[in-house]
Amino acid sequence: MILGGGTAGWMVAAALANQLPRASTVELVESEEIGIVGVGEATLPHLRFFVESLGIDEADFMKATHATFKLGIAFRDFGRIGTAYLHPFGDFARPVNGVPFHHLWLRMRAAGRQGDLFDYSPANAMAAANRFVPPSTDPASLLSRINYAYQFDSTLFGPYLRTYSVARGVRRTEGRVVGVERHGESGDVAALALADGRRVEGDLFVDCSGFRSLLLGDTLGEAWEDWSPWLPCDRAVALPCAAPDGPIEPLTRAIAMKAGWRWRIPLQHRVGNGYVYSSAHIGDDEAAGTILGAIEAAPLAEPRLLRFRAGRRRRSWVKNVVGIGLASGFLEPLESTSLYLVQAAIRELVGLFPIGAVDDWDRDEFNRLIDVEYDRIRDFLILHYHATERDDSSFWNHVRTMHVPDSLLEKIELFRRAGRVARYSEGLFFEPSWIAVYVGQGILPEAWDQRADAPDARSLASGMDRLRAQIKEQVAAMPDHAAVLAARNAGIGSAA
Amino acid sequence: MERPRAIRSILILGGGLTGLSAAAAFAHALPRARIVLVELPPDPAALADRMPGSLPAIHHFHAAIGLDEAGLLRTGAATPRLALRFEHWSPRGEPWLHVYGDHGLPLGAIAFHQVWAAARREGRAGPFHLTNAAGALASTDCFALPNHDPQSLLSTFDHALRLEPEAYAARLAAAAGKRLLRARGEFGGVQRREDGGVAAILLKDGRRFEADLFLDCAGPAAPLLSRLDSGWEDWSAFFPADRLLIGTVPAAPSPSDLVSATDIGWRWSAPGLAHGFGGLAYASAITTEAEARQALGDSGKAEAAGLIAIRPGRRPRPWLRNVLALGDAAVAVDPLQWTNLALVHSAIGRALELLPGRDCHPIELAEYHRRAEQEARRVRDFLALHILRSGRARGEFWRGLADRPLPDSLANTLHHFLKRGRLPFYEEELFTRDSWLSVLFGLGLAPEHPDPSATAAGSEQALAALEKFGQRVQAETKGAPAYADFLRGLPPRSSSRA
Repeated sequence: MILGGGTAGWMVAAALANQLPRASTVELVESEEIGIVGVGEATLPHLRFFVESLGIDEADFMKATHATFKLGIAFRDFGRIGTAYLHPFGDFARPVNGVPFHHLWLRMRAAGRQGDLFDYSPANAMAAANRFVPPSTDPASLLSRINYAYQFDSTLFGPYLRTYSVARGVRRTEGRVVGVERHGESGDVAALALADGRRVEGDLFVDCSGFRSLLLGDTLGEAWEDWSPWLPCDRAVALPCAAPDGPIEPLTRAIAMKAGWRWRIPLQHRVGNGYVYSSAHIGDDEAAGTILGAIEAAPLAEPRLLRFRAGRRRRSWVKNVVGIGLASGFLEPLESTSLYLVQAAIRELVGLFPIGAVDDWDRDEFNRLIDVEYDRIRDFLILHYHATERDDSSFWNHVRTMHVPDSLLEKIELFRRAGRVARYSEGLFFEPSWIAVYVGQGILPEAWDQRADAPDARSLASGMDRLRAQIKEQVAAMPDHAAVLAARNAGIGSAA
Repeated sequence: MERPRAIRSILILGGGLTGLSAAAAFAHALPRARIVLVELPPDPAALADRMPGSLPAIHHFHAAIGLDEAGLLRTGAATPRLALRFEHWSPRGEPWLHVYGDHGLPLGAIAFHQVWAAARREGRAGPFHLTNAAGALASTDCFALPNHDPQSLLSTFDHALRLEPEAYAARLAAAAGKRLLRARGEFGGVQRREDGGVAAILLKDGRRFEADLFLDCAGPAAPLLSRLDSGWEDWSAFFPADRLLIGTVPAAPSPSDLVSATDIGWRWSAPGLAHGFGGLAYASAITTEAEARQALGDSGKAEAAGLIAIRPGRRPRPWLRNVLALGDAAVAVDPLQWTNLALVHSAIGRALELLPGRDCHPIELAEYHRRAEQEARRVRDFLALHILRSGRARGEFWRGLADRPLPDSLANTLHHFLKRGRLPFYEEELFTRDSWLSVLFGLGLAPEHPDPSATAAGSEQALAALEKFGQRVQAETKGAPAYADFLRGLPPRSSSRA
């Protein structure tokens, strides 16, 4: 039983229908009276694999959701006003004799040579030139180490998956939940009472009811862990506008503002804009005015206000209720993580799908894995605010000087000393992502891996020069992003 | 440009395989550092220094230090090993092989081991190790080196090396190169710095060695690190064997090493070229030394055995100030799965990757400790699995072990595996998922249900694909030479005969 027909609910339904076709019957209850938040216009590369695992054709899916390619997130004015960098999807250059590339770069940088670290990221060069090609499958190619995601109309993604799911046997029930019935002894959720008097039973309930968290929060009362002291933004005002003249950028922009930041997400047919802010530091009207002033073309709607709170339910899976998406927690869209968190929860739910009755081991394991995801993304987001020299507003003064979690302090200090990144192999944001944000926001190590001193400086410099030239040359030969999109759309039309 | 914080000099205490591995790796990675190796009289309880076993990861270590493996094989410093053969180590006692690399191929969207488990439930599965090319080779005493053809099953397995410790030590010393300075003596003590670190070590003859960084490779007593920290994480609850009798066994070329459970513990033998190494692990609370010697002698498989005491566990902070413990000084485990030297090489890689400045700042050491702890605890889990879930009902050594509490992370692994064949993820695992599956299935453990995502695992179609895959393994491994013929086919061993 899935409660909620937003993006999260239909992602769960589609994945269960596809991956566990025989394990259970899936029913989704949604109400057209209730709107959806529709988070996640901008996504991470993981979503590609989600779409692919469903057996969905990429070109068809992209056309249906007006999607564009995304090579990274371009941050401006975060570390300091006037600075900019791209958090690219994909790696920097390869390690040399086992030494990660950024250490070699740090060594040369100390000698005043070899330019910017981001010069060695193919994705960065592609994004800057508005070019796009998919990653190469040849491991020897520079382009085998790039990655990409989508930017799409998220209000179309749910319906797309609804069609997919219903065709695979998911039952859709239209109705508004007015009551929750529980088993007397266990406290498990037994059934949902709908406004028209119907009653919907289930063995396992997936709560995708959004911020309301109807089952996990309201019914079971799972405690809220508040992260707003570290992530004070609590509102957003969203305002789509027409596509301006000029290229379609294969990237999401995040531009730091006086009391938060604003996004710019180019889709095929329009541009998504929004200002994420802290209501303690700016009024709603001023924020709406700011975004109205910032858009580059005619607005396509009235500014829409969203309220939220950074944090999460302490556990996502309690009794026979699994909260997925906003029902389990919220982290602002600075790094496009919302749909990734949905996807990670789906991955673990499929892997731990109950056999017979729900058991404690499955729940504990699920919660252990989801904790890791949430805590790491939280730290990564806080880093964007805390690693700053900005002192031009009360908001930036607050985030610059606030106490951050010890887990983040240790990561920053580890990097600051000699460029080391706390390592893990499961979860989100590996070494290149952390390096991009540290370096992009001005946290530069005092030293580097001693092994990077071994190679001869001249041959190292010429190798690095060659690499930069290769990247430049290959990018110059790539097609324009908008042209790639047009060709793909045309391909769908002619194939049909 | 020399940076102010860079480590200029390293002193390695202990001249066994641990110290020599460190010497070769540090010399190779830090060509400007001064590296001194102080060889002490060997500690017989330093297993990493004297055991012949390794894991496939040793190839990466050799690549990193520029050691030519073809040369190792040619000179007889090592022989290749495909498998570890377990005997009397499952409920019904049938032997099984732990081999390395892929077991099976994904069959459609279903994980291979789910299909194999379904077949086993219906009594239609052969041994799990026969789904791995190395398993098929080793079970007929044949051998081939892995190839690089992605179409071939011979590209999907891995092999380890069986070392001749003395000859291998010489090769490591050569790999360390001429810059390595060596001294020999008896340890006399340390001089401390004001901040608690070590300023210099002293030998009994009065010589004194200063360095920026000290590597304690001197065996389980950890003469350097133990002066800075007495912390100890005790694993004896999971490992009842506290004594090892170690001797030699007759040479008998085989691609497999053997471990065999007996009523009083377990025996191992690693047949080398010139001679083999073998021994017995037992519990002193149950078996006397005389009984153990008799048991080992009766088997006719080992002689001239020396006795050592082992204390399974680890030092929770292996890197304190400017002293890093490696090998038995950091983690002490029995030789069951040949993890001793593998843990040394892994720790050296970790240390080089995280090498701090001369001040060895606690933030940098904390990351080393985090990774070292994750790795060591999963090795503990992997080894404890063999002991606490042996499936044996016979023998006083094994009695009651199945009722002992498990480490939490091992309990989690076992629960999810036994229920649905899932292996929970842990960071920094030394052993791959295939190795875990190999041992779990080998021990006779099996998932009760197929995972809900693999309900088709038991379908006729899946079982037919499994059977076909088994035939493919047989077909592709047929024609490989017998192990002894493979060794004879190597170019002549000039240096070791000289």
